[in-house]
Amino acid sequence: MSKIDENEILRRLELLSQTQPSCEATERAINRARLCFKWGKVTRSYKLKSPSPIIKFAAAAVLLICAGFLAGRLFAPQPINVEQLRAEIETSLKSSLAANCEQIKDELYQQVRRDLTQFAAQTVAASTTVTDQRLIELIQLIEEARMRDRVRVATALEQIELNRLQDKTQLGNGLYSLATRTNEPRGTIP
Amino acid sequence: MRDRQKGLLELLEKSGASLYALLTRLTLREDVAEELMQELFIKLSNYNGLRKIGNWNAYAYRAAINLAFDWRRRQRRAFFSLDDVHEAASNDCSPLSKLIHAEELQEILEAIGRLNRKSQQALVMRHIQQQSYEDIAQQMGKTAHQVRALCHKAINRLRDMLGSDRKETYDVQD
Repeated sequence: MSKIDENEILRRLELLSQTQPSCEATERAINRARLCFKWGKVTRSYKLKSPSPIIKFAAAAVLLICAGFLAGRLFAPQPINVEQLRAEIETSLKSSLAANCEQIKDELYQQVRRDLTQFAAQTVAASTTVTDQRLIELIQLIEEARMRDRVRVATALEQIELNRLQDKTQLGNGLYSLATRTNEPRGTIP
Repeated sequence: MRDRQKGLLELLEKSGASLYALLTRLTLREDVAEELMQELFIKLSNYNGLRKIGNWNAYAYRAAINLAFDWRRRQRRAFFSLDDVHEAASNDCSPLSKLIHAEELQEILEAIGRLNRKSQQALVMRHIQQQSYEDIAQQMGKTAHQVRALCHKAINRLRDMLGSDRKETYDVQD
């Protein structure tokens, strides 16, 4: 930061003092001033500043938004008071319930009883059906097991019979052989 | 009423050019100076206490200075667009020096605008209008010594303001 010294200030002031308007402009200004208070006529040489179009549009937009907001606030339905509504419904329900309490109790009892009976019947029916099905399945399994046992016993008996027949044949053959050899002369016996 | 008009016409004939030059120096725009000149004379012709004023000339200069600095203040607040840029009144022809001088003059005029009314008037009359201390003292109803002191204080104040306002220095070489 540097300070401007006194000489610099005086130089600038001198520059200002040397600024001179043109003769035509001076004459024009004097004439205008003369006319001004002679005839009361005021003229404008430079145009008055009017706000730029952007500012005009911005101002219009702001005004519209404000108007819309205000209208919305004014004409919008009032918000529902939830607490008040709940209290009113509660009171109404209480009064109606108090009047029909006994009737509602009976109806409720009957309804519960009907429902329970129906539920029990359905449960029993379902249970019976399932039990029957299980019993049938059990019987089928037992039957199958018995059949398998019978088949095995029959197979075993057949095998035993076969073995017996085989032993019998072998025994017959052996006896025949023994008898044959018993009837031969002694010397031929090795 | 006629006396007033006559007096104002005399003032216009006698000091009109000087007042217009003063307004041009303080606004740096001839068109604005012309407008302010008209405004000044409307103000003078509508002023009811004109009889009480001993020195019309001094009053007119004071009013002109006030009008010019009021306009500068309004300009500071107003929006600035490229359409508003006018060529500053200057005697220099080089575009670069014209620009630099215009900037310097605007800066010092802004600073003068921030002085109090008395200092403003004394400084403008002395250093811009190049009047003698005695003449200024007569117009302001003060002694020449007091006017000198006012000018000195005003210069010091300007130096402080311009020094503190200045953020950086720059040299322009041709």
